[in-house]
Amino acid sequence: MKHDCDCIIVGAGVAGAMTALVAQRHGLHVIVVDDNATPGGQVYRQPSPYARAHVPADAERREGDHLRDKLRTSGIEIRSGHSVWSVTAGFRVELCHDEAMASLSAPVLVGATGATERFHPFEGWTDPAVTGLAAASILLRAGGILPGQRTVVAGSGPLLFSVAHQIMELGGEVAAIVDTASTAQWARMGATLVLDAARMGQGLAWMREIRRRKIPIHHRACVRSVTRRGSVVDVTIRSLAGNGRDVTIAADAVACGYGLRPSTDLSRLLHARHDYDGAAGYWQCAADPYGRSSIDGFYVSGDGAGIRGASVARLRGILSGHAIAHDMGRIDSTTFADLCRPVLSRLRRLDVVSRQMVRLMNPGGIVLANTEADTPVCRCERVSRATIEQAIDDGAHEINQVKSWTRCGMGPCQGRMCEDSVRQLLAHRTHQGPDVVGHYTTRMPLRPLPVQAVTGTYTYADIPLPKAAPL
Amino acid sequence: MSVRTSSTHRYDAVIIGSGVMGATTALMLGRAGLKTALVDRRSIFREASGVNAGTLTLHMIRAGLIPHAMRGREMWLNAREWLGRDVGATATPGLSLAFTPAECELVEQRATVRREMGAPIEVISGARAREIEPGANPDVLAAAYCPLDGFIPTYVVGQAYARALAQAGVDVLEDCPVSDVTPCDGGGYDIVTGGRAGMVHGTRVVFAGGVWLQRMLAWLGLNVRIRCLINQLVVTERMPPVMNNVISIANGLLSLKQFQNGTVLIGGGWQGEGNIDEGGTRVIPENLQGNVRLARHTIPRLDQSRIVRVWLGLESETDDAMPIIGSIPTYDNAFVIGCVHSGFTSGPYMGALLARHILGEDVDLAAFDIGRFTAMASPVSQEEK
Ligand SMILES: Cc1cc2nc3c(=O)[nH]c(=O)nc-3n(C[C@H](O)[C@H](O)[C@H](O)COP(=O)(O)OP(=O)(O)OC[C@H]3O[C@@H](n4cnc5c(N)ncnc54)[C@H](O)[C@@H]3O)c2cc1C
Ligand SMILES: Cc1cc2nc3c(=O)[nH]c(=O)nc-3n(C[C@H](O)[C@H](O)[C@H](O)COP(=O)(O)OP(=O)(O)OC[C@H]3O[C@@H](n4cnc5c(N)ncnc54)[C@H](O)[C@@H]3O)c2cc1C
Repeated sequence: MKHDCDCIIVGAGVAGAMTALVAQRHGLHVIVVDDNATPGGQVYRQPSPYARAHVPADAERREGDHLRDKLRTSGIEIRSGHSVWSVTAGFRVELCHDEAMASLSAPVLVGATGATERFHPFEGWTDPAVTGLAAASILLRAGGILPGQRTVVAGSGPLLFSVAHQIMELGGEVAAIVDTASTAQWARMGATLVLDAARMGQGLAWMREIRRRKIPIHHRACVRSVTRRGSVVDVTIRSLAGNGRDVTIAADAVACGYGLRPSTDLSRLLHARHDYDGAAGYWQCAADPYGRSSIDGFYVSGDGAGIRGASVARLRGILSGHAIAHDMGRIDSTTFADLCRPVLSRLRRLDVVSRQMVRLMNPGGIVLANTEADTPVCRCERVSRATIEQAIDDGAHEINQVKSWTRCGMGPCQGRMCEDSVRQLLAHRTHQGPDVVGHYTTRMPLRPLPVQAVTGTYTYADIPLPKAAPL
Repeated sequence: MSVRTSSTHRYDAVIIGSGVMGATTALMLGRAGLKTALVDRRSIFREASGVNAGTLTLHMIRAGLIPHAMRGREMWLNAREWLGRDVGATATPGLSLAFTPAECELVEQRATVRREMGAPIEVISGARAREIEPGANPDVLAAAYCPLDGFIPTYVVGQAYARALAQAGVDVLEDCPVSDVTPCDGGGYDIVTGGRAGMVHGTRVVFAGGVWLQRMLAWLGLNVRIRCLINQLVVTERMPPVMNNVISIANGLLSLKQFQNGTVLIGGGWQGEGNIDEGGTRVIPENLQGNVRLARHTIPRLDQSRIVRVWLGLESETDDAMPIIGSIPTYDNAFVIGCVHSGFTSGPYMGALLARHILGEDVDLAAFDIGRFTAMASPVSQEEK
């Protein structure tokens, strides 16, 4: 195979950007592919002009601008606005850009594809008032747009408080914060935060603001239902501790998400080894601290290798850059070790905090307590919990069999939304571990692909018709 | 001979492979009162029988199998009666289109052969074809028209079988890969599985392993070459109605249908890559493009759509592309079923046919005798012995 470069990096978040910058410094020819209009990924996403004018600059904005500057001056080729829809061994990467297709090949491939939001259904979750928590974060931070006038912020993990803070900064109202974690869990998290002074400072500032405004926080609780009443919705909040009465409040938006999980599209498509992380509640691509996977030449970096947050993603990117240079024979083992030592020690420190954060983000078996028989679990295909349970009772004991019998996960999102919920339902009902019931098979295209892009312009005579089937 | 422990489960019949062929055979034997086990290395209906295009067409099937396909198609449409549950089988007409003069000739030729085998196919003009299928490309010159066509959303069929098998008392042993089958001195066969079933014993054994049949037959020392086709399928997102019929083209390399939910399935036997021993398949991007170009040429409005998923399924084929169904020569009570072209359509009928043969009925399986491939082919059939 003729290669286009030494290394293709998918994802121009902080992890992909750092991998690219470091690998280039070691003399490697890299190409970065990313589906956003500009580099930066999630945390360092380029704000819209409107957001720049209306949202005060924070550390993330400054970091992001700095990262984009560095990439620009490095001269690294970045294919922004290109979505990767397939990869095959060797490695060949298929891209789609608007209505045009392209492919790239290289002996080394890095998946720095970041995180996907984890969601679990409840009554009324398909109401337009409900958005994802991470989605709301993007809307706020990069768009400068409020999800509503009065928003219930619900789900799990630190993003709850980050989003609440962003809403207040833009002049919106936070009706309540609903958190699946207990105060005791947060106290444990707080204890580790001394290892990450920056994050601690930020968290404390957010909490002061939330207290000052007397925003109610419901710990060990979740949104039980959303019921539309004209232009507002009634949001019912239920305690997960098993005591306490339901509380219903009015709002016009609900931002809800149960933490993040790694985007494993590329690694699954390549059949790299994956492990189920029970504490985190998700599958991740097995990799060493440098991102080396079970497949030679395929690396995973940043949150795509397990959710650890932006600071760790940066460090992982640096380590992957060095490792690729080392593995391709550009630097010797001693140089490699010397370069990595300080990064690794910083990584280990931050990792303690991040692991704690990942536990906080895991809401556990919430879908069981939080749905009715007729609650849709798969939005694309409108599959209810009862339909899924019927399939299980009829003998489906593996997640792809449930998908096959119910169409749950067959729609345009390809199961990104429902997989975690189906896994919980299946594991519970069949008394199997969540790791045993498996994960949806990933196939191309990773994102829906316009027929016009696939076909291009052509005539009938251009189609290489195989010879006729036998009579 | 293998050593059998007292814990070995004993069955009147053990069927290895739970696609449509094995599962139907098992269902019918179970209903006939035989203590039956259906063994699969994975879950039921997850290989060819769970991922195929579900076309119930007479345009593409091998002409020699048309009588069987017509009966199988009827069975799918009446699934409630014999399977206990409707499986969403939809009857529509089918059109096979020609866009060039050479293809017109091909359509004529293929229609003639199929008509002789009993398929009610007539050749119509391009204009008439466009009346029947207004979504078709105006460039169509002629078409073969068959009132008997249709489709099934394949993926739901396994659930209907799972229920029926349970009701028939068939033990479904999933996640039990069979690694060997040995004849026992006292009759019957020991079947070694790698799963929780361990070893099972069957008075009768049926090999129904799809593309893995060659491996299975080798357990008995038989050497039958079985080719593996790696067929590509492409599905679009839901879209407004763009077609009403099952559409194919003259040379058979396209199949198109729009399901009730609005998704359009594009098939036709374009090939991918894969390895049946190691598993894992790979789409060839050029073949994806070719297949979709052909589809868009045929139904131009597909250009408004997006592709949601592409997958590959494994289809088996013998050297003469005709099935192997029936008794295995020189072995008592050992049977085979597979390599049926467009086998999903005829599957229920073929499985039921084999079950009747196993139960001692006189059914005509001469055309499918595996003896035509086995070195030790014996002209003496099991019944005559
Ligand atoms: C909305 C949101 C908010 C977050 N907020 C915080 C926060 O405040 N603090 C924090 O520490 N962490 C936060 N996180 C976690 C976040 O994932 C990481 O901290 C950080 O962004 C990880 O960097 P990364 O480079 O690994 O991935 P990302 O920054 O996510 O970058 C991955 C990039 O890859 C692209 N990509 C993915 N798949 C493909 C494909 N198939 N083709 C082309 N491009 C592709 C993505 O579009 C993205 O641009 C947030 C995550 C999300 C989703
Ligand atoms: C992509 C595709 C499209 C198709 N489209 C159509 C169509 O439109 N119309 C039509 O009529 N036909 C179609 N066909 C053909 C049809 O799907 C097949 O003819 C039919 O499903 C074959 O059924 P089977 O039971 O023989 O094999 P399979 O369904 O493949 O079943 C074989 C079973 O054996 C099991 N097995 C294998 N090895 C072992 C072992 N060691 N131990 C235990 N179990 C084992 C497998 O796990 C599998 O479940 C298509 C086929 C493909 C692949």
